[in-house]
Amino acid sequence: MGARAASRQWSNALFVAPYLIAYLCLLIFPLVSGMGLSLFKADLFGGREFVGLENFARLFKDTVFLQSVANTFYFVLLTVPPLTVIPLFLALLLNRSDRTAAIFRGVFFSSSVLSVTIVTLIWRMILMTEGGLAANIRHAMGFDAIPFLSDPNLVMISMAIITVWWCLGLPMMLYLSALQQVPQDIYEAAELDNSGWFRTLWSITLPALSRTVILVAIFQCVLQFQLFGQPQLITQGGPNGASRPIVLFIFEVGFRRWDIGYAAAASQILFGIILLATLIQYFVTSRKQVSS
Amino acid sequence: MSGIDIKNVSKAFGTTQVLDDVSLQIAPNEFIAFLGPSGCGKTTLLRMIAGLETVDAGEIHIGDRRVDDLPPGQRGVALVFQNYALYPHMSVADNMAFGLKNIGVAKDEIRRRVEDAARILELDGLLARKPGELSGGQKQRVAIGRAIVKNPDLFLFDEPLSNLDAALRMRTRLELAQLRRRLKATMILVTHDQVEAMTLADRIVVMKDRKVQQVGSPMEIYARPANVFVAGFVGSPSMNILKATIQDEGGFAVAIVAGTKIATRVPMAGLPASDHWRLGLRPECVKVSNDGHPATVEFVERLGERTLVYAKLSDGTPVTAEDAGNSRVAMGDAIHLRIDGARAHLFSGTGDGYHADEAA
Amino acid sequence: MSHASHKSLRNTLVLVTLIVLGFIMLIPLIWTVLLSLKANGELMRSTANAFHGPYTLENYIDILNNSSVFRWLMNSVIVSGLTTLGVLVLSSLAGYGFARLDFPGRDKLFLFVLFGLAIPEQAVIITRHQLFTALHLHNSYPGLILPGLAAPFGVFLMTQYFRAIPKELDEAALLDNASRFQVFWKVLLPLTLPAQATLGIFTFLASWNEYWWPLISATRSEMFTLTVGLAASQINFAQTSGLGYLMTQAVFAATPILVVYIIFQKYIVKAVSGAAAR
Repeated sequence: MGARAASRQWSNALFVAPYLIAYLCLLIFPLVSGMGLSLFKADLFGGREFVGLENFARLFKDTVFLQSVANTFYFVLLTVPPLTVIPLFLALLLNRSDRTAAIFRGVFFSSSVLSVTIVTLIWRMILMTEGGLAANIRHAMGFDAIPFLSDPNLVMISMAIITVWWCLGLPMMLYLSALQQVPQDIYEAAELDNSGWFRTLWSITLPALSRTVILVAIFQCVLQFQLFGQPQLITQGGPNGASRPIVLFIFEVGFRRWDIGYAAAASQILFGIILLATLIQYFVTSRKQVSS
Repeated sequence: MSGIDIKNVSKAFGTTQVLDDVSLQIAPNEFIAFLGPSGCGKTTLLRMIAGLETVDAGEIHIGDRRVDDLPPGQRGVALVFQNYALYPHMSVADNMAFGLKNIGVAKDEIRRRVEDAARILELDGLLARKPGELSGGQKQRVAIGRAIVKNPDLFLFDEPLSNLDAALRMRTRLELAQLRRRLKATMILVTHDQVEAMTLADRIVVMKDRKVQQVGSPMEIYARPANVFVAGFVGSPSMNILKATIQDEGGFAVAIVAGTKIATRVPMAGLPASDHWRLGLRPECVKVSNDGHPATVEFVERLGERTLVYAKLSDGTPVTAEDAGNSRVAMGDAIHLRIDGARAHLFSGTGDGYHADEAA
Repeated sequence: MSHASHKSLRNTLVLVTLIVLGFIMLIPLIWTVLLSLKANGELMRSTANAFHGPYTLENYIDILNNSSVFRWLMNSVIVSGLTTLGVLVLSSLAGYGFARLDFPGRDKLFLFVLFGLAIPEQAVIITRHQLFTALHLHNSYPGLILPGLAAPFGVFLMTQYFRAIPKELDEAALLDNASRFQVFWKVLLPLTLPAQATLGIFTFLASWNEYWWPLISATRSEMFTLTVGLAASQINFAQTSGLGYLMTQAVFAATPILVVYIIFQKYIVKAVSGAAAR
């Protein structure tokens, strides 16, 4: 450390101060005041009454909220396995450095850069029963259109399909970069050991990726728990709340009914779930640092 | 041109003491080497002179200025880093000019100095290149050039040759020696390589365990090591250090090693009372011969112009001896060693060294 | 079968699989483009017409004459651009501070910032909305830009990057009489350009695609971003007579971000690798 200028002094904190102000005002303050707000019955017009944990008690009796929690878990269950496995498969196919691989990488990642509003617009034109692409294909084969978006049993599956198409690019890239880090000489050694293609994949490549697989799965859990735009834009949570996730519940309660204390309570529950997943991710990551 | 006065300097990193009450005077225009094993505190002392480490206690003066409270840039020193620390995004010319621009030297003057340095260091064609496009030796010369252009009172070199391969190190060592004659400035070189220190420095500061062990000219350090550590550290191969008892014969000490007597020229008069004497013998004082001390050859190293023989005396004490380049000695041979005690050293139980009189 | 022919058979299989999967991946995009090229009246009768001509650029001409779409595009560019700039500046300063400067409580403060990585938008959005209401920031550019500046990822990334630069460079510059700010500005910052590119492209994409916050903060049409504007167009989807026009909007909105993606593709790959390595 350089002598005078770098010695421990308050003025050095000036470099971090601008960010820290933004961080405190725009993230920490809202977080803490949100926790406080969840203990109040509050509305937009400043009416505020301390109710303790009553909002939480209300949530656990609210069938709409409980349905949204169930929907969210169902959605996570539908999306996380394919979003863990399909990108892995793609990455294994694309783990080469030629031009073809680069082009296909671009193809599979392209959907990830689109906004949720573009994605929902596109998929509505595929899934809708009147003139959707899927319906056209069914008609051409002589069948009736499948009510992807209006059947309560199908609507979450439709959301899952849309989401997998939208989100598979990032995990694919994560797998590819993990594959790049497997030392090439291990493969050469395996070849000298007469290891076949499948045996190499099973005994060398996949074990080397195991940590990335876990990370992708947890990361996708965190991400998909926050499902919002797809159902909000396509079905508004319908039919009969079958596609309403927790975040949409928070949005409706907070910004359509302006019952903000209640919405804040619901968001604390979501925060708890996500914090838990993040902590698991943290421990998985730090375990790797010990072992390497 | 300024001398340096280091007064009772101490330094600790947390609870680890790295320098303990070090004092040292360096004359103007002197070339000094800090020599010692890693962790002895030599680099820390250099960095304290440069201003890159704070001083816990004591004072550092450069010329007639006390500098230990000044920021690095105001001390009039230039440091050549072990890993060069060239700015990767700047061209060679900009690397050298950066420090001059910062103190507002006129553009013409900057260009003149950079071109001068480039000519001296044979960097003429490389001024527009980035450090990433240079070889190790070229980077080294740019690092030196960056120091030269500042016309500092004091040059500091932190292990400047350690990242070069053997041939280049030899060449750069010669260049440093030439540079030294050309530039009138005080220079301090930190190194763990005794050959660098011996060949370049006017005086060597041998350091170990947070303290200065000995300060002296290369030949002083070699011929009259202050203690058993300096004796073993300086010189290659290392000095033989043999357990001995001593007795007085005609005013000079005679060492008895493995039952045989070795007459030294160390005057008995100056020796303290000590139970654990050790005899120090450079390998060149121990020659393979037809008669003398019997020994068994353990290992032979043929260096061409001479041969090093690693042998064991009759009582098992290991000793390094020399033989001619065309020596026929082989492993396992029984040989005899003739020991010349005239240039032998004696070390007391506390490790202090005693030597033959200067005149002898 | 010989070793070589084994390998070439495998390569062919891989290629065929990729072409099939890639086609499935692209079908939605192709379908969208085809629809956008059809006259709205024709699509009213049947969308199956999209697979054959006649095609027309009518919808694209309509969109070029629609001033609100351009207004949204400009809003998106301003908001994403300034957010990116702000994040780069704040993260670089803070990253340098955390990596290189010593001040009381530094390490604890850094951990405190890292904690922010675990805070989801939903946990803060209600109270932040109230805060912005109180400060009269809704329907304004600062209202759309400020929330993006608080994200801790950039600070984390830049701190790691500054830490990886050898300290000897700072020391060499200090010996060269550079001030602390010159060390930051002239020596270290130019070396972080790859990280700046990575962080910049990530921030830009995220800001461009941000949906929930602009949806509740920008309630007036002239302050919509492209993402939110497209949502507004969708609300009356069932009643719309201009399917082709709607799809043209999708293509129009997707084009700029796809172009940005293609230009900066290299950095996105690096960004992901960097995130994976942590």
